[in-house]
Amino acid sequence: MENLEALMHGFGIALSGNHIFLMLIGVLLGILVGVLPGLGAPNGVSLLLPLTFGMQPVSAIILLSSMYWGALFGGSVTSILFNIPGEPSSVATTFDGYPMARDGRPTTALATAFGSAAFGALAGVVLITLSASWVAQVALAFGPPEYFAVYFLAFASFVGMGGSPPIKTLVSLAIGFALAAVGIDTVSGSVRLTMGIDELVKGVSFVVAVMGLFGIGELLIAVEEEFHVKAISSKVEWREVFRTLAGLPRYGWALLRSAAIGCWMGITPGGPTAASFMSYGIAKRLSPRHANFGKGEPEGIVAPETADHAAGTSALLPMLSLGIPGSATAAVMMGGLMIWGLNPGPTLFIEQKDFVWGLIASMYLGNVVAVVLVLLTVPVFAALMRVPFFIIAPVIVIICTVGAYSVSNSYLDVVLMMGFGVLGYLFKKLHYPLAPLVLAIVIGDKAEDAFRQSMLMSKGSLGIFFANSLVTTLILLGTALLVMPVIWRMLSKMMTRSPSTP
Amino acid sequence: MVSGRSLETATALITGAFGAAVIVSSRDNGIGWSTAGVESGTFPLIIGIVIVAGSAFNLVQGWLHARAIVLGRDELRRLAFLFLPAAIFVGVIPLIGMCPASALYVFGALAWHRRGALLVSSLAAIGAALALYLIFELTFQISLPRGALGTLFGF
Repeated sequence: MENLEALMHGFGIALSGNHIFLMLIGVLLGILVGVLPGLGAPNGVSLLLPLTFGMQPVSAIILLSSMYWGALFGGSVTSILFNIPGEPSSVATTFDGYPMARDGRPTTALATAFGSAAFGALAGVVLITLSASWVAQVALAFGPPEYFAVYFLAFASFVGMGGSPPIKTLVSLAIGFALAAVGIDTVSGSVRLTMGIDELVKGVSFVVAVMGLFGIGELLIAVEEEFHVKAISSKVEWREVFRTLAGLPRYGWALLRSAAIGCWMGITPGGPTAASFMSYGIAKRLSPRHANFGKGEPEGIVAPETADHAAGTSALLPMLSLGIPGSATAAVMMGGLMIWGLNPGPTLFIEQKDFVWGLIASMYLGNVVAVVLVLLTVPVFAALMRVPFFIIAPVIVIICTVGAYSVSNSYLDVVLMMGFGVLGYLFKKLHYPLAPLVLAIVIGDKAEDAFRQSMLMSKGSLGIFFANSLVTTLILLGTALLVMPVIWRMLSKMMTRSPSTP
Repeated sequence: MVSGRSLETATALITGAFGAAVIVSSRDNGIGWSTAGVESGTFPLIIGIVIVAGSAFNLVQGWLHARAIVLGRDELRRLAFLFLPAAIFVGVIPLIGMCPASALYVFGALAWHRRGALLVSSLAAIGAALALYLIFELTFQISLPRGALGTLFGF
């Protein structure tokens, strides 16, 4: 009940004319970056970041989170109409969305996607509304060892559940940690890992890394694959929209299951991409119509879209209540929070009530705004896809360059960004995950500090991580996730070997 | 032509070299335990070792398993056509400044792909530079690099 009251207060904040306007702008910019190849939610949000420094934190977070919703929806538009996923997390939507649109039912495909996406997002927001302040309350009692254990669990779940080759995930994660350590060490005040370059004392900003990895890297991937835009009619028939939305409850079981998968993957930092693939895979296995998957089966759109948006939304739950972002974009937003002078974590719920509940209320509104706007603007953004790539590419390069430069007016950052671009291309090409790297840059310092503070408390004994049942459970769970890939591998080897041995 | 093997190898060597640099650099700070707690070089050292070990594993894996050609001549050409102009753009920023560099970049890209459409390309180039100036310098007061040329003319 207390939560509902706080939520109503939040609606009072979010429902001002100024904030509705920011939501509209955010969602439109979000759809734009979601549609354009080479720009996505993480670098879209980091591009806007420097422009929010003068704003109230509530207004700033409403703008950024609305952009996030817009990007999630925008990615689905191109997946369905052009078979080009605008976002990595909407790759699974192309499997059934594009065949359905190609067979002459683009409106049905879009409406199915948006309807289930809205359901997934709603599930995520309800989860946040009900449990975020409770989680924060529990987390208030956390000391450094507990925090380190939670960070450890978060990083371990990337390795164990992220779906990429585990050692590649580990390398990506460790590079992020190393980059986070560059510059002044917060505990001792000494300068680390500058490798003789004085300018690196200020550290490597996550914005620079995101611009290069996701911006330039993605652009290189896009140009290499040389997509051909095959136009499908992008006219939206409103009657069909309503009929499709009314028919969605038929997939109730798939909706609920996918929302649950999405929420779980969002809270543990598996992220939206892994969530949508997992949900699609499970739906394909369980559905009675599994033979139709890949040929335009509605459930094949419902499953990945619901999970994608549920994960994207619930990724903000650990960011708000624990200070641990559940996805790359959430990591960028959390970086923003720290720049605005807020301290992400449980104390937010006490010291910044307006901020937290204003944001949560805006998530309800922002998703409604996003569904309506995306339906209204499908033809406009679809037309944008016909702009030749050789015009879009220089524009995106210039935008990323200015974005990287504006972080701290440093040319070195621009050069670093280009380096990250090459690395991002190689990583994408070879299935190294990028999200762990960004996450580690943002919270690597905090994880290290938590570890060192724990060590100070225990005078150097690792026993502090087994001092009470909570810490022990978290550490053991994390370790289990870390070794899970190895165990899986051994099990599957034994399974394949056993039938052949008599 | 580039095979998956060479791409995997190159990436593992890059990450491994970074890891090695982290290890070497971490030794400038103390390692281990002192009266003030864990010394500041310890964590980077461990991370560096993890990166080097992981890279070695990926190197071997990539060498053994990825043999197919992943980048053909066409793909390489397209990559070069995107990356080289972008690198030149970034390279000339300190010389002539952000706005002129962007204008040249847009002009070059358009004029190359639409041979002959010089007027359209020039207009787009001027538009790009102007948009940058209006959005960043005037609206959000972020000063863009002027370059050696800008300093010469006293901007």
